[in-house]
Amino acid sequence: MIEWIESVLGLTIQVGTVYLLASLGEIYAERSGVLNLGLEGIMVMGAALSFIFTLAYGHLAAILISVIAGILMSLILAVMAVYMRLNQTVTGLALTMLGLGLSGFLASPEVRKVILLALNPSLPESLLAIQEAPKLPEIHVPLLSGIPIIGCFFRQNVLVYVSYIAAPLMWFILFKTRPGLSLRSVGENPAAADAMGINVFRVRCLATMISGGFAGLAGAYLFLGFQPFWQEGLTAGKGFIALSLVILSTWNPLRAILGAYLFGGVEVIQYRLQLFGLGALSPYLLAMLPYLAAIAALVAVSIESVRKRIGVPASLGIPYSREE
Amino acid sequence: MPPKIETRFGRIRVERRVGYGRLYSISMTLLSLALAFLVVALILTSLGLDPIKAFQVIFGVFTKPSLLLESIKQSIPICLAALGLSIAFKMNFWNIGAEGQIYMGMIASTGIVLLHEYYGFFYEWMIMPLMFLTSFLLGGAWCLIPGALKARLGVNEILPTLMLNYVAILIVDFLVHGPWRDPKGYGFPLSIPFPEYAKLNIVLGDPAYTGLLLSILGAAAAFFLLEYTRPGFEIKVVGQSPAVARYAGIHVRSTILLGSFLAGGLAGIGGLSIVSGIIGRLRPGASPGYGYTAIIVAALAGLNPWVIVAVSIFFGGLITAGGALQMSMGIPKAAAQMIQAVIFLMILVGEFIKRYKVTIERPRVGEE
Repeated sequence: MIEWIESVLGLTIQVGTVYLLASLGEIYAERSGVLNLGLEGIMVMGAALSFIFTLAYGHLAAILISVIAGILMSLILAVMAVYMRLNQTVTGLALTMLGLGLSGFLASPEVRKVILLALNPSLPESLLAIQEAPKLPEIHVPLLSGIPIIGCFFRQNVLVYVSYIAAPLMWFILFKTRPGLSLRSVGENPAAADAMGINVFRVRCLATMISGGFAGLAGAYLFLGFQPFWQEGLTAGKGFIALSLVILSTWNPLRAILGAYLFGGVEVIQYRLQLFGLGALSPYLLAMLPYLAAIAALVAVSIESVRKRIGVPASLGIPYSREE
Repeated sequence: MPPKIETRFGRIRVERRVGYGRLYSISMTLLSLALAFLVVALILTSLGLDPIKAFQVIFGVFTKPSLLLESIKQSIPICLAALGLSIAFKMNFWNIGAEGQIYMGMIASTGIVLLHEYYGFFYEWMIMPLMFLTSFLLGGAWCLIPGALKARLGVNEILPTLMLNYVAILIVDFLVHGPWRDPKGYGFPLSIPFPEYAKLNIVLGDPAYTGLLLSILGAAAAFFLLEYTRPGFEIKVVGQSPAVARYAGIHVRSTILLGSFLAGGLAGIGGLSIVSGIIGRLRPGASPGYGYTAIIVAALAGLNPWVIVAVSIFFGGLITAGGALQMSMGIPKAAAQMIQAVIFLMILVGEFIKRYKVTIERPRVGEE
């Protein structure tokens, strides 16, 4: 029984970490007033790049490249949505399409071969055509990993530990420090923040880049830490689910932990039900669960009484300019 | 003298343009298209692929009659979905769910055919009208879900419409792997092929011509609705300002419901045009993202129904070119998707340049 709980819980953490990493950054972007709808595209690019660069240079380089690529991609969004004041929904969507198209293009067998040879000419022929990469190794924390049940929190790969540290740290910066206050004030009332001498554009640009970096990391984790087999569009809407999760967590990094594991749990239930061979329930119907859960979460949050208690960043989605 | 409206970023000055002509607007759009192809050329060159040859293949699509017909065929679902989006976007309803609504339209059309083939329901002459009716209703209903969530509970429509895309695609997967699988299909996840009476080939026996007629009729309907009818006017007012709409006595909630239903319905008919015009049966992944392409088309056409028809044919050509590129140059099919996204981004940047004047100031002599 304990073994069963441990395996389910362990898997829940593994899936949940994808959502957690992605939503942590997005919380910063949205708190500053920018909706980064490009999350999905950045994640899938992170996954594609971590695939290619793991084969060429190994895990560390792959993770770094994914994060950098995420930051650069979100910079496109920042320039277009913050400085050019273009519609954030449309711009973010364009970025997601770019990520999906470019990742499919770069990681396709033909193009990948060209890139891999350019990066590392000494790669053996056998590595040029494979569709998978070595998974990130699990690190067992001494003593802690031996505890029954809770131990599975400490038998994970390095990026899961990063998420354990990042979530409380991001919460602390956002709510207990001066830069965090500036960021929130920019999202609540940009005109007032501007009058206080805060550079609204720069704060929003930075916050968007943070969300891009975390989305790139989430993509790298999804591929290297969870399912290291490349297929086009392997994120399958996980970025959009993370966006719903940000709303469910009411833009709070600590609540995002709970929400991420909740959504991780929903996905694990789906895998388990398939394993138990519930023949009547098609796997395709079960696969709808996460998306339906995301809609349910959005509905739950927006019911009027709930909405009054929580703070939607007041200027979310509205470009700031000094003109009006 | 109008008040000076400008924002400065260091030495870059951004000023709002007070007004600009149509010619300027069109030339800016063309310029952004050219820029998009330049970016694509850079990507291709950096990977050692010949961009000139690639562009010859892409634009060659529009000169060869057979490929042009294929492009028109591919443009039908894009056009119909984009026409629906033009209604939704005019209402400020960010429907990103055209893809899912297209899939629901495919389900409805296929369902009618199967009801006739398996159970003998309906007469043969009723099939086509029923397919149109049900795909419109089911596509509309699929968009009505986020519409109702917005109208009733104030849930923002962006994420629900997105989520429902994945759900609709999974329903199709479920159907063709399960109850709707062709018993003579050797176990492949496909429905039975559509019989002749369920195919979209009334005009000249070709789905391309029939589809073009359908696109034009759709554009006329959308144009008429938005320009000459009361609901169309109300949709536009709600999009401009819900507060004004309420003040003017417009029932905002029912307008949102109607607008979202019509938008989804048109996308649903786009789904019909896929199963009954392009493929001739239902299969997984029957739409390679027509619903997302439709968003780009609607944006590029400035939500003008007539322009949407033309722009869809261009994008139908791009999708056709994707296949041609793979065959002739070994460039993966995802390239077509990438080109679309680059065009989308460049068009958006073009919008900015249309609306604002950007100048870089030189530091003046003698100034610190």
